[in-house]
Amino acid sequence: MEVGTSHNVVTKKKPSSKLKNTWKEMKKHKVAYLFLLPKLLFFAIFMLVPIVWAFVLSFLDYGIFEIKWVGLAHYFTAFQSEIFKASLWNTFLYTIVTVPAFIITALVIATLISPLGKVSQTFFRSAFYLPTVTSMVIIAMVWRWMYNYRYGLFNYIIGWFGFEPVNWLGASDTALPSLMIMSILIPPGSGIIIYLAAMNNISPTLYEAAKIDGANAFQRWYKITIPLLTQTTLYLVILSTIGSFQVFTQIIMMTGGGPGYSTETIVHVIYKTAFRDFNFGLASAQSVILFFIIMVFAIFQFKIFRDKN
Amino acid sequence: MISKKFLFLSLILVFTVLISVACSSGNSSTEPKEPTDPPTETGEAWKEWKGEITIWDGPRWRDAAENQYHWLEAKAAEFEDLYPGVKVKIVQTPWAEMGDSLSVAIAGRAWPDIAPVDISGSAVSINHIESGVIEAIDPFFTAEELADFYPNALAEYEYNGKHYGVPNSMSVHVMLLNLDIFEEKGVEPPANGKWTYDEFVKKMEALTGDGVYGFSTYILDGYYEAWPFLLMDGGYPLNEDLTEYAFDSPEAISGLQKLVDLKTKYNVAPFEMGGPDVGQTWQEWGNAERRSLAVTPWATWAIAAAQGDNFKTNFMVAEYPSGKLGESVSIGGVGGWVMFAQQDDNKKRMTAEFVKHISSTDEQFVMSQNYGTFPARISTADLDPFADNPEMARAQEITEQAVMLPRHPEWARIDEAIQRELQLALNGEKTAEQALSDARRVVESILK
Repeated sequence: MEVGTSHNVVTKKKPSSKLKNTWKEMKKHKVAYLFLLPKLLFFAIFMLVPIVWAFVLSFLDYGIFEIKWVGLAHYFTAFQSEIFKASLWNTFLYTIVTVPAFIITALVIATLISPLGKVSQTFFRSAFYLPTVTSMVIIAMVWRWMYNYRYGLFNYIIGWFGFEPVNWLGASDTALPSLMIMSILIPPGSGIIIYLAAMNNISPTLYEAAKIDGANAFQRWYKITIPLLTQTTLYLVILSTIGSFQVFTQIIMMTGGGPGYSTETIVHVIYKTAFRDFNFGLASAQSVILFFIIMVFAIFQFKIFRDKN
Repeated sequence: MISKKFLFLSLILVFTVLISVACSSGNSSTEPKEPTDPPTETGEAWKEWKGEITIWDGPRWRDAAENQYHWLEAKAAEFEDLYPGVKVKIVQTPWAEMGDSLSVAIAGRAWPDIAPVDISGSAVSINHIESGVIEAIDPFFTAEELADFYPNALAEYEYNGKHYGVPNSMSVHVMLLNLDIFEEKGVEPPANGKWTYDEFVKKMEALTGDGVYGFSTYILDGYYEAWPFLLMDGGYPLNEDLTEYAFDSPEAISGLQKLVDLKTKYNVAPFEMGGPDVGQTWQEWGNAERRSLAVTPWATWAIAAAQGDNFKTNFMVAEYPSGKLGESVSIGGVGGWVMFAQQDDNKKRMTAEFVKHISSTDEQFVMSQNYGTFPARISTADLDPFADNPEMARAQEITEQAVMLPRHPEWARIDEAIQRELQLALNGEKTAEQALSDARRVVESILK
């Protein structure tokens, strides 16, 4: 409800007037929109159209030469598939373990780096960011060696303490946790960089005032830093949730989804459905399901963090 | 509030557009549904055709300049001299990427004119033949020419009475024995490369110890090195007309149990046997510095690799051990050149001519000698390409024991369902019987 400008009575603004205002605003800033146009076009062509096309495809039986309308059949098939259900569960587990670990590790490391001088900060930023720019294929190959039953680093180390070697990637009950451990132990470079930037923007006067009031270091971190990083945390949580739901390279490089279906993930199933089985309709339906899952998670996370804010 | 309504209206608009686009696509067909018909008679006009033929190929044997595409480049140059105006474009594609690249190209309807394809693989399958992506080669070969191919090789490319590829090579899985380890352990290799399962176990036990294992292999979708064990007592994945799952038969269970026993009962295989690490298995057998495996099964390309400089190994070829069937069983494959759907009849004829050019008797001879494959042409085999290569000659004898995998359109999915259960059986997480029975549920849902 808004106050109308004419007749000084309370009226509801019509959608058309809102559109008009938007159009007016756009006209006012037309130069800015002109500069944005190439990017918007790229976004429309390479993001919006494929997303819309994926929605459309999910209702079609898309053969190489023949296209047939099948309605919701692919969605029913997806939810009836035991393999798809297993992949949903595995991906969910992977996400709820790795995302908090990513956020906490990034926050703690950024907190430890942030009081350092400029040169030291730059050094640690580079050191922690380096693995982020390394290809996941290379990282996966190195970790595959570390998990090797006979020659791997981990079994070598636990051997010192008299433990039996573990079949890290080869057994159903340890394969997914091994992939989670790998994701957790890879330094969260992007998270650290973003947290550091946000921490450096917090006014030092807040900390000084808290100090005068007798707050210790942990209290200052817990009561000032963390609340003021809420927006950054929200951003990182959403980004890392999306990343975790889309886990793929590690799977294809290290386990192929096995043993059994213990490390099967949604994107790996989508990939096989599309490019091995050539069932693009079903693969699109699976992608749409993934899209909605991520969307629900994002809305949920937005709500939690907004309330906290 | 207004912005929410605006958003809502926009969403309705988007979905209306989507649904109308989807409905308008219903039952539409942009291209022929059936495999394309043989070309119309073009007379000699095809010889005048000018343009580009695109062929994909993977790296083959090296020349002095380390070029692994030299053979095809030479063939392309020859062909261009024969038909001025024709350009052959070679797209170098690593073998590991060939399947995925072809899949993506087919999905995008941007396929090459020719590609090397094992029709039993997942990149190109019967589904593609049915949807008209692959051209039949029959119109370009006389009955006499087709009769020069081994019938089992030709049969792999046959569908509904037509042939959808020119067989270029045959391969088979064999046991490779590292003779240095046999010698170190004082174990006699099997006479003539033949052994029963019990004899095999005894030799593996004698070879195992001091960081060395007698035997190992891996389990992975699309890899069949372990499968001859499952077939040795008479098992087979599907029934004859490919309508029912048959791998939970007592014969198949007994075969799988024999493979599992090597690890769990006789302790002649390392703990990681049954995992997916192909590279490690090869390194442990063929790399002199990491040698810790006496025997592993491989497809025949490995013979050429073990004879090459990088992994020069003192080895011999042996059969898979025989089981209740009384004779050894192996799994074979057929590689060949496939021609993809063409619009222009003259180009199609010219492309077929190039396929014939690179799969002639002489070229298959060159391939056999240098690339570790068996010829698919009888006339090439008659030239005895392995006269001075006893290991390849021995492997060629094993081709007679080769069983082909079921040619089911959904084989890739069926294969995955079975292989995943085999992994669990070899891990000790399921019994052989449980694993092969559990695969039934998934396979049956695929066969429906």
